[in-house]
Amino acid sequence: MKSDVELRLPPDVQYVGLARLVVTVAARQAGMADERVEDLKIAVSEATTNAIRAHRQAEEPRPVVLSFGPTTDDTFGVTIVDTGPGFDPLPPDAHERREWTEESGLGVTLIRGLADDVEFVRGEGMRVNMRFAVGLTVNGQGHNGSD
Amino acid sequence: MELSLEHRREGNRTVLEVGGEVDVYTAPKLREKLVELVGEGHHQIVVDMTKVEFLDSTGLGVLVGGLKRVRSHDGSLSLVCNQERILKIFRITGLTKVFPIHDSLDEALQDS
Repeated sequence: MKSDVELRLPPDVQYVGLARLVVTVAARQAGMADERVEDLKIAVSEATTNAIRAHRQAEEPRPVVLSFGPTTDDTFGVTIVDTGPGFDPLPPDAHERREWTEESGLGVTLIRGLADDVEFVRGEGMRVNMRFAVGLTVNGQGHNGSD
Repeated sequence: MELSLEHRREGNRTVLEVGGEVDVYTAPKLREKLVELVGEGHHQIVVDMTKVEFLDSTGLGVLVGGLKRVRSHDGSLSLVCNQERILKIFRITGLTKVFPIHDSLDEALQDS
């Protein structure tokens, strides 16, 4: 992924809104369709929230780092890196088996449902790589959150 | 945009009008409001989300918590939402099967 901009956020939940704002402005500048910008905004919010919460729980003072920008294949890429304890993401169909009474655990489901491509990499913390079509489709394929 | 919360009675229902952005930073205020309303005996709640600009999974979790609270008092919690970008996240997470979701407040208030 070719990422042009980097945003370093203190691990405080008040900055999640700033992350949404900055990334969506960059996506609009890249020509992303409005409908996709809305998908991007939610996915960025979810991944940034998870990263900041991980730092808070681990009392990790270092920043959460977002890097983002248009890629070479007409997509917009966002990578969110934290140095928290990391987690093993639930499988894609996990939400179908969850109890409705659970109040958390839907963030990864939303990221998977809204991004055209996502990768969760557990290392020293977590790296979440997401890609979104700048137009409404990737290579003629509708994204999986639109139906 | 900050979160706005206003409630009023409509017959035997309590309408909670939510506006602005509901995320990890603002959702605790929505949670507090729902806890307060249920504690005061408001058990038939309609959450009007017409003016919500943004909602993520943190907000969904708070609504699920609210639904659990009212159901423990044999109450109900329904939603008013006509924005596709918000309805989409209810569909993706399967919560359209959990919450009654109405296009308009009138429709929600008429629903028995």
